Amino acid sequence: MNESPQLDDEVLLEAISRLWRQVDPPPADLAHGVLARLAAEDLELELLTLVETSDALAGVRSAETIEDADELTSTFLEYVGPDLRVYVHLSAFDDGTRLDGWVVPASPLTVTLRDDQGTTLQQTSVDQHGRFAFARAASGVVRLTFADEPPTTARPRATPPFHV
Amino acid sequence: MTRQPTESDSVWETSAQHFERWRDGDQGAMDELVHLLSPVLWQVVRACGLDRETSEDVVQTTWLALVRSADGIAEARAVSGWLCTTARREAWRVAKQGTRQTPEADDILDRHLPEEPAPEQQVVLDDENARLWDCLKQLPERCQRLLRIVAATPRPDYTVLANDLGMPVGSIGPTRGRCLEKLRVELVRSGGLA
Repeated sequence: MNESPQLDDEVLLEAISRLWRQVDPPPADLAHGVLARLAAEDLELELLTLVETSDALAGVRSAETIEDADELTSTFLEYVGPDLRVYVHLSAFDDGTRLDGWVVPASPLTVTLRDDQGTTLQQTSVDQHGRFAFARAASGVVRLTFADEPPTTARPRATPPFHV
Repeated sequence: MTRQPTESDSVWETSAQHFERWRDGDQGAMDELVHLLSPVLWQVVRACGLDRETSEDVVQTTWLALVRSADGIAEARAVSGWLCTTARREAWRVAKQGTRQTPEADDILDRHLPEEPAPEQQVVLDDENARLWDCLKQLPERCQRLLRIVAATPRPDYTVLANDLGMPVGSIGPTRGRCLEKLRVELVRSGGLA
């Protein structure tokens, strides 16, 4: 074979690899998601699964939130685990994001908002109806963890990371 | 025959070093390894035809598997190949659960390399890539799919890939060679790389 060096097999394959990296780049937070999953493994958390997600821009809001003239965007997230289901509603305003949550079935839980390193940012409790809220949720890549109150030996449940 | 080290070579080399440091107790080395190789695993998994959301999940599962079975990897240099093989097999396993597979297909390669997923959005390619893309699209689909997965796979993992594809190690080479030859013809025809 006396092709020019540019046509060498390995060089061509490298070019194809480069092409695909440009055509089909991974999500920007791919590595963060991996590290959060590994961290959850370390903390021995029970990972909840995201089953439903929806974004609504202002102007196509649901009837529930249409009163809120200042609200810019609204996101619904739904997670399931072996023993509970969690609904999360994020409402973005000019001056921050409100996080409302609902746990089914309602049970006494401590809810912790953590950053993607697992550090506690904010904490609250689930009320008797299964509701909880962070009026001004910390922004960035975060996750919610749910621990039995009072503590038991059950592993705390955790959502995968999401963006506030 | 000697060849210049490619971009990939240094990635595999660096991976081995990170992995060794992590096994020696440096937790930060795992972060670096994850940042370095997750984009590589993404390409491997996507080349198996999974959608973006499922691909992200498979990449995460692959890393969990590594952390759980790191002791089974005797040679640090094998870590990138181990990750790619694990990712590819997990991707195929997940894909098989979907409805896209035709179980009666008797061509194992076709079964393993489903339809090329179209890029999610139109990306603007630089000149070199735009021409390569046009040329690749002239090849038979089977060639396109084979070249994508081979290009995404580290060379040390090559024998395993051949096995997984149900092709004798001595046969994937010629198939790959024929596909690359067709690509060369297209590239020359399009006026460059001569």
